[in-house]
Amino acid sequence: MSTPAQISSVPTPATRLRPRGLKDRFFANGGVGSIAVFFVFVVVLFSVATEDFLSVPNILNILRQSSPLLMVAAAMTLVITTGGIDLSVGSILALVSALCAILIQAGIPWALVVLLMLACGGLIGALQGFFVAYEGIPAFIVTLAGLSVIRGVALLTTGGYSIPIPATLSFVELGRGWFLGVPVPAIIATGIVALAFVLFTQTPFGRYVTGIGANAEAVRRAGVNTKAVTLFVYVLSGTMAALAGVVLAARLGSGSSNAGQGFELDVIAAVVLGGTSLFGGRGTMVGTVLGALTVAVIGNGLILAHLSPFLTPIVTGTIILVAIWMNFRIFRGAARKR
Amino acid sequence: MAAPIPRVRMRGISKRYGTIQTLNDVALDLAPGEVLGLVGDNGAGKSTLSKVLSGAVVPEDGTIEIDGREVRFASPADARAAHVEMVYQDLSLCDTVDVAGNLFLGREPRRRILGVSFLDKRRMRADAVAMLQRLGISVPDITVHVENLSGGQRQSIAIGRAASFDPKVLIMDEPTAALAVAEVEAVLELIRTVSARGVSVILITHRLQDLFLVCDRIQVMYEGRAIAERQIADTNVEEVVDLIVGRKFSARSARNTQAEGVAIS
Repeated sequence: MSTPAQISSVPTPATRLRPRGLKDRFFANGGVGSIAVFFVFVVVLFSVATEDFLSVPNILNILRQSSPLLMVAAAMTLVITTGGIDLSVGSILALVSALCAILIQAGIPWALVVLLMLACGGLIGALQGFFVAYEGIPAFIVTLAGLSVIRGVALLTTGGYSIPIPATLSFVELGRGWFLGVPVPAIIATGIVALAFVLFTQTPFGRYVTGIGANAEAVRRAGVNTKAVTLFVYVLSGTMAALAGVVLAARLGSGSSNAGQGFELDVIAAVVLGGTSLFGGRGTMVGTVLGALTVAVIGNGLILAHLSPFLTPIVTGTIILVAIWMNFRIFRGAARKR
Repeated sequence: MAAPIPRVRMRGISKRYGTIQTLNDVALDLAPGEVLGLVGDNGAGKSTLSKVLSGAVVPEDGTIEIDGREVRFASPADARAAHVEMVYQDLSLCDTVDVAGNLFLGREPRRRILGVSFLDKRRMRADAVAMLQRLGISVPDITVHVENLSGGQRQSIAIGRAASFDPKVLIMDEPTAALAVAEVEAVLELIRTVSARGVSVILITHRLQDLFLVCDRIQVMYEGRAIAERQIADTNVEEVVDLIVGRKFSARSARNTQAEGVAIS
């Protein structure tokens, strides 16, 4: 069968690649490296500048306040790693917190309400994911429309009023309660982040999320249902936004259609600050956690230092720019775009 | 070519992109263990035809039979299940995934814990090292992202991936484009090895000299049609060049020899 041509003893392809050392590993994860530096820096700064920052109650307070951000940022990391974005999470959070209060006032058992709300968030995510994955409309457009429409629905259902939730219900424990000396929302957020980490780094699904961001056509040619994977990351971000809405409503004891204005930007800031590439293909859950905590620490520390809270967005924005700039200049691995 | 049952039998394959009839009623036969050279000028339809066989492109018309059974590839997953593997011209690698991950993309070894499937990374890495060694491809670190590899190494990985999973049909679209001379020889040797094992190979290349080293037969595409086929023993580079550029063109340019030189290089 084979041809008569003869070429004997073909040398194996030569290689000049040296094995990867510790330094290469650090620089390949440059995004995480630079945010870790920033995180330590702001923690040390506020510990020195203020008395109360490094106290246990304050740290637990930071964890409680940042838990909605952490939950949604974990899911957003997956969305952004596929090369997409979800701008609608703030609006979903508002709609869910409002619906949550309305349904609890109507006398529906709160456990059922929570499940309904998670399903509602997932459904909204699935609808948006359908347009992104199956219809090929850019995620930015789809979720920008979602941001507007969902916020509008929330305003329409509440008439713009905030709806109280009776503090006597055990529902509010979801936002205010303690378990083993730790705030319940922080426990929920920790669980979500741990699950997201395992999903992202240890499962085929997580591998395909990264692959789709790097080269979606390659993953499709490898026989993977890339559309279903893409749709599912939006289901996850919708569900997590809903969970954040439930926790927020429980903490505040009310549901408001004005909640979470600009929340999506905080979430995206946390993810990008953590070193996840907006172009897709490169994501890190550890970086996202550090990014979210950095954002939370800055907000908390500036208030404790008796500085104007209006400084928070200025400082956060500056750090985002500097951190990304560091990634591009120092950690060239993270800056190199396919 | 009256083989008992052809490994691949494609008939009447047609595909249109907008106003361009990329494939027009194309037929292709491939015997077990045969190496077929698919040649043609840019845009002749070679890549599209091979993507139809690999499931990446769904044709409007036509039938495909594998080992005498009619198949319908709606996606690359279907073609993979029928043991049709392809090395794509663009290599189809995920830059930010490591070498092992790219080799096993879409068929990762898994272990189930509590009904959830997890990546079996240890087995993946061990198997990946073994796979590459068997093919004589050396990559010092299997956990390095493929974006850090040279063009030749990337191509080796794409080829290794297609050749390692027990293919019946191996399609290679310009597999040697980015390779150094010695690496080209290694790929040609690989083609001989797998075809001797009974794997049917379709080789698409612009390097006509390679065709004469490994192919049993050549099929020429011209503007979306399969216009000719030749047993390798019955033809020569000059004839193949004439077929590729089209007879009319070749007749006009017969006065100078530029056409041949351009096409070969």
